[in-house]
Amino acid sequence: MNINFLAGVLILALTGAFLPVINRIFKISGILGSIISSVGYILAGFLICLSQDSGKILVEFFTTDAVSRFIGFLILIASWMTMLVIYWVLQKNRFVNELIASLLISTAGALLLISSTNFVSLIIAMELMAMPTYLMVLFSFDDKSLEAGVKYFFSSALAIGVMLFGVSLLYAITGSFNFEVLANNLFKDPLILLAAIFILAGFGFKLTVFPFHFWGPDVYDGACPGVVALLTGISKSAAFIALMRVIYEALPAISNNLTFIFALLAAITMTVGNLLALAQKRVSRILAYSSVAHTGYTLIAFAALSVPLSVTGIVYHSVAYIFMKTAAFLCFAVFLYVWGARTMDDYKGLGKREPILAALFLIFLLSLAGVPPMAGFISKVFVFAAAVDAGMVWLALIGLLNSAFSVAYYIWIAKQMYLEEPTLKEPINNLSSKKFIVIPLSIMAVILIVLGIFINPVLDVSRDFLLKVGL
Amino acid sequence: MVLLSMILVPVIAAPFAYLAEKISKDLPKYISLAVSFFLALCTTYLVVKYPGSGFAFEEFYPIYPPLDFNLHLAVDGISLVLLVITSFLAITVTLSSWNVEKSGAYFFLILLFLGPMVGVFVSLNLLWFFIFWEFTLVPMFFHIGIWGAENRIYAAMKFFIYTHLASVFLLLGIVVLFLNTHTFDFLNLAGVSLDTSVAKLVWILMFIGFAVKMPIVPFHTWLPDAHVQAPSPISVFLAGLLLKMGAYGLLRWELFVLPEESKFFAPLMAFIAVLTIFYAGFRALAEDHIKRMVAYSSINHMGFVLLGLSVLTASGISAAIYEMVGHALIISLLFMVAGYIHHKTHTWYISELGGLMKKIPVLMTMFVIGVLAAVGLPGTAGFVGELTVMVSAFEYYGWIMIIVPLASALSAGFFMWMLQRAVFGPLKDSFKGLSSLKELSLIENIPLAMYILAFILVGIVPSVVFDVYNLSVDTLSQLFK
Repeated sequence: MNINFLAGVLILALTGAFLPVINRIFKISGILGSIISSVGYILAGFLICLSQDSGKILVEFFTTDAVSRFIGFLILIASWMTMLVIYWVLQKNRFVNELIASLLISTAGALLLISSTNFVSLIIAMELMAMPTYLMVLFSFDDKSLEAGVKYFFSSALAIGVMLFGVSLLYAITGSFNFEVLANNLFKDPLILLAAIFILAGFGFKLTVFPFHFWGPDVYDGACPGVVALLTGISKSAAFIALMRVIYEALPAISNNLTFIFALLAAITMTVGNLLALAQKRVSRILAYSSVAHTGYTLIAFAALSVPLSVTGIVYHSVAYIFMKTAAFLCFAVFLYVWGARTMDDYKGLGKREPILAALFLIFLLSLAGVPPMAGFISKVFVFAAAVDAGMVWLALIGLLNSAFSVAYYIWIAKQMYLEEPTLKEPINNLSSKKFIVIPLSIMAVILIVLGIFINPVLDVSRDFLLKVGL
Repeated sequence: MVLLSMILVPVIAAPFAYLAEKISKDLPKYISLAVSFFLALCTTYLVVKYPGSGFAFEEFYPIYPPLDFNLHLAVDGISLVLLVITSFLAITVTLSSWNVEKSGAYFFLILLFLGPMVGVFVSLNLLWFFIFWEFTLVPMFFHIGIWGAENRIYAAMKFFIYTHLASVFLLLGIVVLFLNTHTFDFLNLAGVSLDTSVAKLVWILMFIGFAVKMPIVPFHTWLPDAHVQAPSPISVFLAGLLLKMGAYGLLRWELFVLPEESKFFAPLMAFIAVLTIFYAGFRALAEDHIKRMVAYSSINHMGFVLLGLSVLTASGISAAIYEMVGHALIISLLFMVAGYIHHKTHTWYISELGGLMKKIPVLMTMFVIGVLAAVGLPGTAGFVGELTVMVSAFEYYGWIMIIVPLASALSAGFFMWMLQRAVFGPLKDSFKGLSSLKELSLIENIPLAMYILAFILVGIVPSVVFDVYNLSVDTLSQLFK
């Protein structure tokens, strides 16, 4: 790992660790807290930009390459914007600094996760990313938070357990946790396939892949929406990148055997996600099931792992996903806090009440639906192109049809916001900083549109990764 | 820069139109009108400077050359004709929407629609074509959903989901095509040789996408709903531009890219076309709702366009493009007048109308002229379009096409019957004291007069249209030889 990258991660984590301490001593306000955290983000961002490919420290465990730099930088931006929105929404809450501290540490975990090249560091990073989020979900938001937090903790613990079992099998065969060593020493063996399936199951929990997706919507519905933005947007994308590294760097020997498993999981996951999303009344659950469906789309790219386009598909979809899902949940969070809008009925006429926020929410929904020129469109094009290139036209067709059906519920939210008369009369909370909340969300919208047209950065990054794994 | 600015200026002006409402209620429409005139000016420049054949005014903005994802813009005669229609309709629609409510959002969406619309007609990159194509749905969805009639929300949702679903097939076709050719560029794609089974798959996938947009039977069901609910100026965009996108896409990206497969599927296209012509004709005959009837007559005319395209000769394709132009002008007039009739009499139903000629003779005269043009009165665009399509179909398919003129008789039948019931005859008692039943204002009459002048002009001097694209069609139709 490059020293600059590590320094960036550490600065972020330390900012997070000291924020509650500073708060206890000096009783800082929300604004001061956000400034301190922003400094941490900016420093970390600079250091990550400065880091180079060659690594000096912890080379056994982490790597710094184009993918980790690029995705890491985007994760930082998304997390920073999330931080700003959470601060501005919850500024009066006395635990807000603790919440933000968890966010920072979890983001540091995500940065480590996307650069892990060893199962030990991968699992540690994954837990570093997850541990603070347990706290964040439990963060007293309403009665459901407790249930959500417990559910999340147990399913996540189970996931790690299952994954550890798979990893220990690999260790038993090769005597190493390192991806490179594994890749060179693994050969076709039923036991390795078994180990891979356990590892996949572990990832499946984290990524809400069918049939491990049940906790997802409950948790996303119960937790504070700002936290969910981190949970479903940032940490899921990080987990996708980690899974990509596992498949391409550690398990190339058996990757062909995984194709069909991935294809099947993709088809079922996206169909289940979309069908259940259609049946929901609460917007948070719709977004939650749409997140399940999006996991399915990304799995299509995994299913096409024999062709170079699949890496592009995975990276692009993760990139788009970081912003569109995070931002969509943040919009939901603001609507919930200001208007108490939870269900589809509450969303009626919000376009009139909050013209700018609703317009931004619409952009994120259209991106999720895959309408050009947003990044969500072009990323889907790459995902489906990968499937077609790998000879799985049927899978691409299922994916495309799913994507078309999913438009129904995204456009339904748009319909409620713009075409119906408002039902909510008065805002339940008056947000003095509402003007500012628009800024981070607009930044994310602009990034989505720019990445939807200028595809170079993502493609360059994925080409670098392809060169590295020799595809 | 001309073509790029024609795409970007409306899109950039759109937010300003939205914000301008805060300053003055009238400002958005002036911005929209200014942008429409800008488009018209650019189009005039292009028409004047166009060398007569091939692609001209090429602009190339590399975005990601390794995957051939570049903004490649150019016009040939075919796109030029459609650009003329686009800018012409932009002006007339803005004028027709002069007194619209919530004008900021309305003209915001109009401008947001126009930019990608130009993009569809000038893009030589298939992926960009699709991006523009798909984005036009969003403003249209809100137009129908916000300013439409009672069932607007149902119609808007149906419109969006239906046409988006169709686009999915188109997109899959594009992906398969790209993976087999590694290019999105029309200049490389035209006449590309592909594995037969792959090419047929691509052809069918893309055809579904274009067929829904055109729309042709049996993919047409979204159209009557969308038209009936949409406000009349938006119906003009729907019929005049959105449907043309389907026909243009079919022509540019299917017939010219996959000529062999097009030849193979030509009889199928012709069959569907004839089916569409008759089905829509009979449906229109049975229709009591005046706007729905016009919508079905629009499907009927798009059947003629498809028939012309299916002939795959220079004359057939020329005829189809001419029919597209004529249809855009005539159907726009009919939709506008149908909307005004509802506005003035508060009813959509032909059976409840009667004797309107006595109260509003100027508007009704224009309506009658429009109807006569639609049934193909010589001297109007309708006549030239239908005649050339029928002649070329006859030349290519032979005697079987003798049935098509019968469809013309059918359309004459339903239109004349409608005129007799709604326009002529004694005035209905219920309308006698109706204060809203009066002639249009000058500003409302201008677009209608513009349509009439335009379709009579191109009807009397068809060469003004044909000359623009004849050479382009000739060059491209060499592919079918």
